[in-house]
Amino acid sequence: MASAEIVLRCADIAVAYGDVQALQPTSLAFEAGRIHVLVGQNGAGKTSLARVLAGIIQPVGGRYWIREEEMRASSVQQARALGLDIVHQRFTLPPNFTVAEALELVSARKYAGAFYSNRALGSAWLRELQRAGVKVSPGAKIRDLPIETIQSLEILRALAGQARILILDEPTALLSPGGVGCLFARLRQLRDAGVTLLLILHKLREVTAIADTVAVLRAGRLALPPTEIAAVSEQRLSDLIIGEGGAGESQSQADEARAPELARTINLRLAEVNTRHSETEPALAAASLAVETGEILGIAGVEGNGQRSLVDVLTGLMPARSGRVELLGQDVTDMKHHQRRSIGLRVVPFDRMNEGASLPLSLWENVTVWNAETYRRSRFSPLDIGAMREAARLALDEFDVRYDSLDQPAGSLSGGNMQRLILARELAQGARVVIAAQPTRGLDFRATQYVWGLLRKLRQAGASIILVSSDLDELFSLSDRIGVMRGGQILAEYKPPFDMRIIGDSMIGAAR
Amino acid sequence: MSRWLATGLRVASPIALAFILGFLLFAGAGYDIGEVVNGLWQGAIAAPGSLEQSLRWAIPLAVISFGIVITLRTGEFNIGAQGQILLGGLGAASAALLLPGWPPALVIPLALLAGVILGALWSAIAGILKVFFNADEVINTLMLNFIAALLIQWVTTGPLKDDATRGETASTPRVDRMFRLSDGTGVSIELILIVVVAALLAWIIVERSPFGLKSRLVGSSPRVAAWQGLQIKRIHITTYLLAGAFAGLAGALEVLGPSARLVTGATPTLGFTAIVVAIVGMLRIPGALAAALFFGGLQAAILFLPIVSRLPSSGLRIIEGLVALLITAHFIWLRRRRNQGQNL
Repeated sequence: MASAEIVLRCADIAVAYGDVQALQPTSLAFEAGRIHVLVGQNGAGKTSLARVLAGIIQPVGGRYWIREEEMRASSVQQARALGLDIVHQRFTLPPNFTVAEALELVSARKYAGAFYSNRALGSAWLRELQRAGVKVSPGAKIRDLPIETIQSLEILRALAGQARILILDEPTALLSPGGVGCLFARLRQLRDAGVTLLLILHKLREVTAIADTVAVLRAGRLALPPTEIAAVSEQRLSDLIIGEGGAGESQSQADEARAPELARTINLRLAEVNTRHSETEPALAAASLAVETGEILGIAGVEGNGQRSLVDVLTGLMPARSGRVELLGQDVTDMKHHQRRSIGLRVVPFDRMNEGASLPLSLWENVTVWNAETYRRSRFSPLDIGAMREAARLALDEFDVRYDSLDQPAGSLSGGNMQRLILARELAQGARVVIAAQPTRGLDFRATQYVWGLLRKLRQAGASIILVSSDLDELFSLSDRIGVMRGGQILAEYKPPFDMRIIGDSMIGAAR
Repeated sequence: MSRWLATGLRVASPIALAFILGFLLFAGAGYDIGEVVNGLWQGAIAAPGSLEQSLRWAIPLAVISFGIVITLRTGEFNIGAQGQILLGGLGAASAALLLPGWPPALVIPLALLAGVILGALWSAIAGILKVFFNADEVINTLMLNFIAALLIQWVTTGPLKDDATRGETASTPRVDRMFRLSDGTGVSIELILIVVVAALLAWIIVERSPFGLKSRLVGSSPRVAAWQGLQIKRIHITTYLLAGAFAGLAGALEVLGPSARLVTGATPTLGFTAIVVAIVGMLRIPGALAAALFFGGLQAAILFLPIVSRLPSSGLRIIEGLVALLITAHFIWLRRRRNQGQNL
């Protein structure tokens, strides 16, 4: 394919969400009839760029053209009319519909008029299904189908609408290795039929397996414009994704900070635990880990590789299908979250605003609600509101939360202050095992430093901590050991001095 | 103090708007507004016995609304109070009718307790369906209302049939006078005392119990509640039991109080008006008490109106409905504005 026809071109496209600049002005062009791959870490701006191209979000600046036709306002309809469609990471087909109904509903291609019969609709879409080689009955319910089939249908949905340029946002995230192979074979067929493909990926092995050209985004900037895959070594690609400054660097203040005189026992153990896969993540597969007294175990990994399942299974929010969870010497596999809390487990959830703090509840209510029973004299006496407010005030002051009144809703706090409130609640009393999930995400420098200091102090006091983070700097400066998760497995464990390059490669599955 | 004033205004303005809209509608339809206003004033306050009538309706509305305050705080939309009232009435009537000649000091508490328990169990059906089968509570509680109504119809034409009555409305025999808590006016020291005790109990449950605080977390931020280890299923079931208990108590008070018997098709709108009472009362117990007085007055006026005005009673029901609509819309608007403030 030597045709150099440019089908997709953007000039100085920039994306911002509020104050956060997700994508710096970026200019790119993609040739027709090839498989282009866009690769980068979480938050690098890949999805933002894809959504702009598909007409879903409005860029804050820049212009772009689909087949030499300039896109005016952000309009999915216009993008589709010009032959560009996107398959999202989260599928859009309605789960309670049959295959034919769902395709008819979401595809730009329509077979039914105002009145139609199920049989006519089914046979019309059956022809499309056969043409695309998807083996499924048009009468099957979407929710009963395996993920691979749903994805094939999503692709079919776009192509039936006459898409000639197809963007796939992390299409392999939920697939098994075999499923990935089938997907790639299908994508190559499409390319050979003249469709231009733009894939967003973050596993190096997959990039080298499928890409004709590769482009790298890092921290909202274009680190590598679309380049023939043969012209870039895997080594160089890995450096570009992670950032050259970080390569080979190792740092750890971990050892010096560890409390030396503590008796070491294993406070948290996960043995060969399996779970079901969730909507967004692969299942945990034979995951094992152990954390000692006064130790921080870092969990690294590209987001969506089972970190959430890991935390859910450790906290008791999700049951283990098999395997064993031990907390402070007790078998807690079948215990609910509140029972684990009463033993000494504390959690800083991933999502501050939706899981960590209740925005409409007041500050003191947020701090005291989980163990409200303890603020009364006997089982039948009323709550001692004064004592609750006092306990909340002490906890908030200890953790340096800035607030005007104990009665203000938690939603009125800034991000950093809200995280301090969550930490105050979780760590004020009796925290022996702590699971901190993305504890500094979105926080500014000072707040981040504060949280780091707190976790170090906690380790000094003998707590066992699991730190799940997608920020390698954070993991390197705090962890005593780092486990890497990929595809629902805890693949390898590293001890200091940590090597950014080795851990980064392990995260994205690069082979050296 | 200014906060109280602001809250009052926030509640009063949609109510005022509802009346204005209602009056415009009546005027447009050719009714004499002066007559309607006079009917409202007379029926709720001024005419002899009107205040008593207002209080008579405020009593059940208040008691039912306490339970609805609790369910709405937990984030559940239980519209089954109507059926729970009937079951409460059934409990009280059964106890009073099946234990003739027993000492009132024993039968009255037993009858109240039977009403509370039957109401709670009836409500728990919807709670269990919600918690264990994720069945929508709006539909279930609504449907259970019909089942309850048919159950009462069966009881009043079968096992507890009053042979003395003829005609369309079947009912149980009259409850023995010594088991009554009030005469036909429906107002007595005993009834008012029971409402005060119920209000205190409800206030402690809502404002001073771990359940009250936790149910608010479950209602406002269910995911946070899960991550805090709250036993969400247990809180839901408790919520339904409490809601049914208060509605059941109200039903028992009707039977032992003004109506003296369980009647098919009795008080068909109380359970729904109580939802409006709870919302107008800002989901707080003192607020619900105040709102119950207001809607009790409106209910009395609705029944009085045909005496002095050509406007049928259903006209005032339109105003009642408008109040519910506007208050709800106002609340949603306030909440959205607050959420937007957070996103900025």
